[in-house]
Amino acid sequence: MPDNARYDAIVTGAGHNGLTTACYLAKAGLKVLVVEKNDWIGGAAVSRELHDGWIYSNCSYVCSLLRPEIVRDLDLPRHGLQVIPYEGGANFTSDGDYFAYYADHDALRREIARHSKRDVDAYERYSRLVLRQCRFIRPLLLRTPPDPVSLHPRDLQELLYLIRRFHDLGEREMGETIRFWTLSVGEFLEEHFESELIRASFAGSGIIGTGLGVYSPGTAYVLLHHYMGEVDGSIGSWGFARGGMGAISNALASALKEAGGEIRTGSGIDRFLTKEGKVTGVVLDDGDEFEAPLVASNMDVKRTFLNHVNPSELPDEFVAAVKRFKIRGSSGKLNIALDALPEFPAAPPDAPFLKGDLHCSVSLAELERAYDDWKEGRWSADPYFDMLISTRTDPTMAPPGKHMMTMFIQYAPYELELGGKRAPENWDKAREAFADTVLDKVERISPGIRDLIVHKEVRSPWDLEREVGLTEGNIFQGELTFDQLLFNRPVPGYAQYRSPIKGLYLVGSSAHPGGGVMAAPGANAAREILRDVNMLAPHSKWSRAA
Amino acid sequence: MKASGANQSFDAIVIGAGHNGLTAAATLAKRGKKVLVLERSESIGGMAKTSEIAPGVRGPRMAHLLYNLNPRVASELNLESRGLRAAAEDLATVSLSPDGRHVVIAGTEARFSDGGVHPDAEAFSSLTQRMLRYGALIAPLFTRTPPRLAGGGLSPANLFERAQLGKLGVDLRRMGKSEMREFLRVVLSNVCDLILDRIPDGPLAGAMAADAVLGAWAGPKSPGTVLMLMYRLAQGGARRLPAGGMGAVTDALADAARAHGAEIRTGVGVESVLIDGDRMRGVALPGGGSATAPLLLSSLDPMSTLKLVGPEHFDIEACRRIRSIRAKGTAAKINIALSAAPKFKGLDDALARARIVIAPSVSYIERAFNPAKYGELPTEPMIEAVIPSLSDPSLCHDGIHVLSAIVQYAPYDLKGGWSAPAREKLAQTSLALLERFAPGITDLVTTTEVLSPADIERDTGARGGHWHHAEMAIDQMMMLRPANGMGRYATGIPGLYLCGAGAHPGGDVTGTAGRNAAIQSLRNGASP
Repeated sequence: MPDNARYDAIVTGAGHNGLTTACYLAKAGLKVLVVEKNDWIGGAAVSRELHDGWIYSNCSYVCSLLRPEIVRDLDLPRHGLQVIPYEGGANFTSDGDYFAYYADHDALRREIARHSKRDVDAYERYSRLVLRQCRFIRPLLLRTPPDPVSLHPRDLQELLYLIRRFHDLGEREMGETIRFWTLSVGEFLEEHFESELIRASFAGSGIIGTGLGVYSPGTAYVLLHHYMGEVDGSIGSWGFARGGMGAISNALASALKEAGGEIRTGSGIDRFLTKEGKVTGVVLDDGDEFEAPLVASNMDVKRTFLNHVNPSELPDEFVAAVKRFKIRGSSGKLNIALDALPEFPAAPPDAPFLKGDLHCSVSLAELERAYDDWKEGRWSADPYFDMLISTRTDPTMAPPGKHMMTMFIQYAPYELELGGKRAPENWDKAREAFADTVLDKVERISPGIRDLIVHKEVRSPWDLEREVGLTEGNIFQGELTFDQLLFNRPVPGYAQYRSPIKGLYLVGSSAHPGGGVMAAPGANAAREILRDVNMLAPHSKWSRAA
Repeated sequence: MKASGANQSFDAIVIGAGHNGLTAAATLAKRGKKVLVLERSESIGGMAKTSEIAPGVRGPRMAHLLYNLNPRVASELNLESRGLRAAAEDLATVSLSPDGRHVVIAGTEARFSDGGVHPDAEAFSSLTQRMLRYGALIAPLFTRTPPRLAGGGLSPANLFERAQLGKLGVDLRRMGKSEMREFLRVVLSNVCDLILDRIPDGPLAGAMAADAVLGAWAGPKSPGTVLMLMYRLAQGGARRLPAGGMGAVTDALADAARAHGAEIRTGVGVESVLIDGDRMRGVALPGGGSATAPLLLSSLDPMSTLKLVGPEHFDIEACRRIRSIRAKGTAAKINIALSAAPKFKGLDDALARARIVIAPSVSYIERAFNPAKYGELPTEPMIEAVIPSLSDPSLCHDGIHVLSAIVQYAPYDLKGGWSAPAREKLAQTSLALLERFAPGITDLVTTTEVLSPADIERDTGARGGHWHHAEMAIDQMMMLRPANGMGRYATGIPGLYLCGAGAHPGGDVTGTAGRNAAIQSLRNGASP
């Protein structure tokens, strides 16, 4: 085998986590190759020109969770990453009213008071509680979860750290924390707020991307995955990556190249090469082979071990556990090119919140019914959507005067029920009908928006799976339920990024702490890889964790 | 001696003569305390009552099966010697199947009603055994007062409780690595995935899921239902049919209380709770009398207790927490008097005595739950039915039988309210469903009694008509039951304790809450 086919480490999949791992490994001095099946990089963090002059962030669409420690470590701003915060958002009713969410505290209080005086104080209590939970959970994101059954000093030490942190909350807060982790977002909000519209406005974040309803216990925690974010140090705020989400991937790629890493697009992995339980390299679809003692898979746990590893190389119970891992497709996307700015009659002209995320779900029951449809294999007849007109903040994404709109829709099943049969292929016959269901609802709050549509891309979970490679098109590479979090993610006993095959690591969102464009799994995995080859840089901030 | 205006003093007063109230009273009396039990209604028993459905036809009014009865309660108060006998032990479960191949479950064994071997019997057996192991593992948590998460100082009691928690960790470890890992994975998970990961959906899976969601505002897909299943299996999961109906349980408990000198007054509701300063002094009785005691144990649900005592005596945070306790009843009770024993297709007489479940699949149960979330009735409810008169002739005479059915999901907050027509509709739906499996049963019906959650609330006072007084969800269990900061039976008002199902460990006829509260109240006395 020629030298140019030999590397210290190979990363399969050029998503944000794979690139992050590659960056840290390359910076540590390893010779790194990233292979990507698509002709473009980015995985689910991409900007693509699918219609002349319009750039779509056609998978993930807003930025907030990307860990600031990683942005600093890899100096991403210097590599072109610019995140523009946006202010608030709004949830419209069908009868011309709305609940607007402002970043400005006083404005928000006035808006809440418009719907319920009592909820103004309730909001103070609510936001305090959520922020306290964020502060509790955020430091854990960049730590490797301990194995609770192991007696290894590092596991015991990490377990002790968790217990101490928990204990330091004090008895009352410990109770609140347990409640928060186990409550449903619906019940959590009902406990605080009396206004149904306000409840529904906050509830969305608890179900985005999950196969759970607003009344499913555990969804209050999912709320955190959308509040833990941070833009320029302001916790809980969201922003647009200038030029679309691809900007994040491009910045990571540029950092990687600077550190001497290589990226090879256009051919995905066929299989991992193993010898006596050790990984030795990869074979690509185009037949090319590459050698490396370290291989990091950015693919989800099912795809990695069920499609590209010879089962005989793996313990049976591991394979069983991977098959059991729940990755449920539950969301669809609409990316729309608009000829002009759509109008929202209910909103004051140029209201600042129109720059933010727009919704149209007025009650928890409406959201729960949307979930019931999904359970039966149908897309929600009255879906929840998260809609943003990105070009209001970042004009570079459409021709002058034109606009680009991104819509995230909950729920859409992977196996669509059609004529009594459930199958992903059914989407080929149903894409337009799905889009119509969604657009009919949008028309309620923005009459005539259909006439402005120049081009639209409809994305079912099946499409996401085929293009990006996410099993069932699940944006988190696995449900965020307790049985799949922390030391349970993705498989109990293998939650520290390692696998039964020596040298083969899992670096995607299937691993702790899970999904969202956080890059935390990638960074954590890199740390574990470097620890295994004794190259852990002691000075690096996050390397001290665990 | 009960002259109005008179004031009597006791060591402890218990409000409510349900199984928990009576257990608390008997436990205190046995320890030499002078105890008074006050029951608003004319008869004792609360939700564990045997009542007359029609002249000469007696049956279990609400709860109809006995499992999970705390063995320590049974032995301490020797309930056996006080007449608590089983008309049938280890009742088998029959899960009815639309295709007539019903599934019979006895313990960890599963087979077809026609004797055929069930293809998933092995998977079912191993899963049930595992759940039994886990149930036994956490049983101590469910029988003792929940340990404090922090604080509590170095008092021997506190150290002992901490030691128990430590012991759980050790026991967990002793199960072996893979078992421990599996426990930590599934403990907060949902019963649907737990079952369907191993057993294909059908009557067998349905019956198992039913055990997890009986009485709950939750479907099989709701996370947390696995813990509920472990709770049900904590005492081995064996089901008993008490001779003389569930009333026999509370009668035995009342007998025990009286035998140890407790006084039980029925038809006497509490007018108000006497609070002097911030301390509980006793209760005011109808007609101007009063009874004083340093200890007051309320077996009412937390919200009713709050109302009775008066919110002004609780701190505002406690009020908010109690008000937000979830207690939305979903289980209705239908008692039917039959002119003859019904014939179920494919069930011989022996199997007809079993516990009959209509839950043909896990998804069926989830679908039955969906409408309840919006205050609507399901078209196809889940049913748990028994015909106690088959095993216990003492209940009826000359060939008449009584069928006792728990019907889910019947939401407390039904749209349009629980009017007569709504009750009738529920009865019709349920009968139509039974008719499918027992053709001709409708013609045998002589009397039908429908108890909606609203009726159960009116009858027993239990808020939301909820069996468990408060939803058995993880955020309302253990030290968080009924609410954070009230997890150890004490209410924050010196001398006032909770001893009902709203307190730890929760619902089902266990007597545990009553026993623990009694012991806890003796330990803490009148200190907050």
